[in-house]
This record gives sequence, structure tokens and C-alpha cells, in this order.
Amino acid sequence: MKKISNKTNGLLNFMDLRYGRYKLIYGIMAGLLILLSLVCVLPIIWVAVSGFKTQAEFYSVPPTLLPAEFDFKKIANIWSKLNFFRYFKSTVFLILGGLVFDIVINGLCGYVLSRVKPLGSKLLETLIFGTMLLPGISMVPLYMTFVDMPLIHVNLTGSYLPLWMLVGCKAFTVMLFRNFFNGIPMDYIESARMDGCSTLGIFFKIILPLSKPIIVVEAIFCVMGMWKDFMWPYLILGSTEKETISILLYHISSGSLPLTELDAMLVIMLTVIPPGLFYCIFSRQIMGGVSMSGIKG
Amino acid sequence: MKALSKENKRKSRVNRIISKNFSGWLLLLPSLLLFVLVVWRPVCVAFYGAFFRLQGMEATQFIGLKNFKDVLTDSAFLKTLINTVQYVLWSLVIGLPLPFFTAIMINEMIHAQSCFKITTYLPVIVPTVATCLIWKMMYLDGSGGLLNTILYYVGIDPKQWLSNPSLTIPLIIIAMTWQSFGTSVIMYLAALQGVDQSLYEASRIDGSGFWSRLWHILFPHMRGILLLLGIQQIIGIFQITEQPLVMTGGGPDGASLSLGLTNYFYAFKYGQFDKSMALGVLMFLILIPLTFLYFKLDKKIND
Repeated sequence: MKKISNKTNGLLNFMDLRYGRYKLIYGIMAGLLILLSLVCVLPIIWVAVSGFKTQAEFYSVPPTLLPAEFDFKKIANIWSKLNFFRYFKSTVFLILGGLVFDIVINGLCGYVLSRVKPLGSKLLETLIFGTMLLPGISMVPLYMTFVDMPLIHVNLTGSYLPLWMLVGCKAFTVMLFRNFFNGIPMDYIESARMDGCSTLGIFFKIILPLSKPIIVVEAIFCVMGMWKDFMWPYLILGSTEKETISILLYHISSGSLPLTELDAMLVIMLTVIPPGLFYCIFSRQIMGGVSMSGIKG
Repeated sequence: MKALSKENKRKSRVNRIISKNFSGWLLLLPSLLLFVLVVWRPVCVAFYGAFFRLQGMEATQFIGLKNFKDVLTDSAFLKTLINTVQYVLWSLVIGLPLPFFTAIMINEMIHAQSCFKITTYLPVIVPTVATCLIWKMMYLDGSGGLLNTILYYVGIDPKQWLSNPSLTIPLIIIAMTWQSFGTSVIMYLAALQGVDQSLYEASRIDGSGFWSRLWHILFPHMRGILLLLGIQQIIGIFQITEQPLVMTGGGPDGASLSLGLTNYFYAFKYGQFDKSMALGVLMFLILIPLTFLYFKLDKKIND
């Protein structure tokens, strides 16, 4: 248990907290936070628990809080009924490819803009960051681009490639990488160049080992972001063999699958568990990453 | 001998500059290609295509402002615009102050601080569609919904939620806020680390209290980031599409229809790509001043 006398910063410090009214304020704040935490956690737990109820239990008056029994066969049933593994596999494949595009392309771009700076790259930088917050005008033209790729005239819908292309040009990620690389002293690079190391060599031998933390952070965000993604996967992969978890959830919500609300709740639970585990493992990096990147959806 | 080595040195320097520029642009090539294809070209295509009649995806005939006229004179346009503004206003009322004050409170905690951080961020990891579904089920009209379950225990009759036209927008915003406010909390928390503690000390010596410190020291320090996140939120919510699509489909009777969703319907429900592009251009023109404002403020605050 931490001692109140250790609290030296913030609006209230240990001296203030000797007074009753400040203790009261502190108590109220703690109470509000506990309430808020419950609001954050309870909906997820409610869905997980309700999924195990029977129809009669769910709609009974008076409403019940807990199901009479937790029958884990229900999960197995729904898993095989929906062929859930197919959606799962597709999502994982989408994420793995996305990771490569995201980190390699955005990372290289950030690196070159920050440490190589070839002639004219300043212009590219201005363009990339200048269009970062452009309102999403481009749903239709972008869709048309994917249906009929300019120059090569290939229809890319139904493949993962468009979605990988989308994560391969995220201005925020480029900026994240660039800001990180700005922190690597130019001396390292200069002296390696003196020793005859090529640009690629410098990248692989010096930059890459140093940039492990940023790569980890970006990889985590990429995985979480793509697991959540709905609109573009739906437009590109909808009604193909490659539908992702989010598309499955959308089918459930629009009622096009023969599922009861209770089955739907079990499916929701199944889609929350993987990122939940992921979050348990990486919560520290995620917290650090959000404040590092400044802006992240 | 000396001249030769000088010559060599110059040559190798020129070589190095060439190789640096060449390999630099080579590494930028994939990025450049993708940004052109996926970000910049579509914007130009939209501005161009909005003035044409489209046959499928082929621009066939220049028709001037007709697409814009069609969009603006659509009987639902005004209502949709008002709905969208309502989304934005509700999100400013609910979604802006909540993470701000949560961050301030978490920052004050000496007990379980990281626990609060982790729980408030938890909803961020839930897939967007799953969030919509979870809340849709909590809002269920019958006795099964969580809200009505709670009402039952408080002793109130079950109510209508999403199917009540005057509640549907704020309810959608609540679900969205639940999902996304954890991110803002962490960002505010990071900004709170930058408050100069000696100012607090000085104010303590002057005998000013909690509220005065909050108002005169903390708030001025946080005004910048609050504004930036506020503008970002306006831009984001103005384009809200997925949440109404999944939770209500725009209903009941168009009460939750937003401009973004209309845009989506034009394109992928009715196949009117030209109208969709015109609406996209209109939304773009509405939002672009905010984008400029954001960059100006961002520059001012970071300098």
C-alpha cells in the first residue's frame, strides 16, 4: 500500500490531504473512477455471461443476472456451426501481411525522410503530413481504384492486397517512425558511411537494431487496429471466402445469419478474447505507445 | 600525385551523393507509389468525377453541378445534415469532457492508478462492430437488455432505447465514447506530466485551493491539447458511418442517418457513385477549414 505522505505532485499533495475536505475530494474522485471502470468492464462481462443463458433465462421477468449453468459445449457448437475458424484464419492472415506492409514501407519512408534526406524529399514530407488529416473524401474513388487498378487494369477486390496497401501508407505511422529516427544521432550514420557502409547496410546494421522499441509499438497498434477494422475489409472481402471476424459480426448484426441473440453474444465473446489476451501481455507497451505517438485512433 | 588524390576524393564524394539520392528515392518508392494511388489520386478523382455522370465506373458526360444539385435537393439532405451536427454536438458534450476529467482524476490517484488506466483503455481493444453489437444488446427494448434489467431492479418499467428517435443519436455517441475515450485519457495523462509542479507549490503557499489550482494552473496548461483533440473529434464524428450502419442502419425512420452513412448508401446500396462523390466533395469542403485550423493550432502549440 502506497503512503499518502509520498504524494508530492498533482493538484493535491500530502499536505493538502491532511485536510478533511481534500480527503473528501480525493474520495469522490476515487469513487467516480471505480464507477467508470465498472462501466468500462461490465458490458464485456455482461455479454460473456449472458451468452451462456438459455432463451428463457435471457427474456425472463424478472431478469436474471447469472445463467443457471455455464455450458461450454455451446461455444463448441457455435464454433463449428459458423465455421468460425475460417474467419479467424482470414483475419490472422490479413494482419500478418498488413504487419509487413505497415512496418517495412512506413518504416523505410520514415527512415529516409529523417536520416537520408535525398534531394526533394522535403517536398514529399510536406505532402504526406499535409494530407494527413484530409477528410475521408475518397471512399468511392478509392473503391474504384481497387476495382480497376490504374495502368495495369486489374481488379483487386476479393484479395488482401488493397487492405495491405491501405496500411502501407499511413501518414501517422510515417511520422511516428520519422520522429523516432530523428532521435538517432547523425554521427552514428556518418561514421558508418565513412567506413564505407552503404545506405542499405547502415539501415540493417545500425538503424534496425536501434529501432526495435518503435517497431514493437507499431506492430502492436497494427495488430489491434486491423483486428478492429471493419469498413474496408467489408467492401473488399465481403461475401468471399476471405471474410474477417468483423465482417462476420456485421452479418450477425444485420440478421443475415440464422443466429439467436445469445449465440451472437458468444461470438462477440470469441472475438474479444484474442485482443484481450494480447492486451494483457502488451498493456505496458500500449500505454507508452499511445503517449508516444500522440495521435492514434 | 596530390592532385590525383584530390580528384579521386572529389569523385568519390560525387559518387556518394549520387548513391545517397538514388538509394534514398529507391527506398521511398513503395511509399510514394502507395500515397499516390491510395491517398492523393482518389482525392483528385473525386473532385473531377463529381462533375460527371458515371456509367458504372466510367465518367461518360460532363454535367456540371447537377450531381451537387441532386444531393442538396434530396428530401432527406437537410435532416441528415442536422443529424450529423447533432452527432458532433453530442460527442462534444459527452466525449470531450469525459476523458479529460478522467485523466485528471487518474493523475491524482495514489492507489490503483495503473489499474484505472488499464480498465479505461480496455474497451479500445474491442472490435468496432463488436462494440456496436454489445451496446445494441444493452439497449434492447425487451427485458433482456442490460439497461432495462437495471431499470427493473431500480423499479422502473422497461423503456425504448435505440428505437426512440430522440434518443438514438446520443445513445450511439455513448457507445462510441465508451469505445474510444481510453485513448484520449492516455494522451491527456501524458500531457498532465508536463504541468510545472512548482506552480502548484507557489499557489499552495498563496493559499489557493483545489478548484483554483484546477482552473488557473492545470486548465491553461491543457487548453492546447484539449482544443486539438476537440477539433480532431469534430472532424472524425462528422464523418461517422460504421456505428449507425451497424447499430441502427440509419433508422428509426432516418433518425440516425448521418452524411457519412448517406454517402455509403449512395455508393454501395444504390450504386450512384457520382452522387456519392459529390456528397464526399461537399463534406470535404465543410471540413477543410477545420483541418487548416488544426494545423495552425498544432504549429502554435508545439512551437
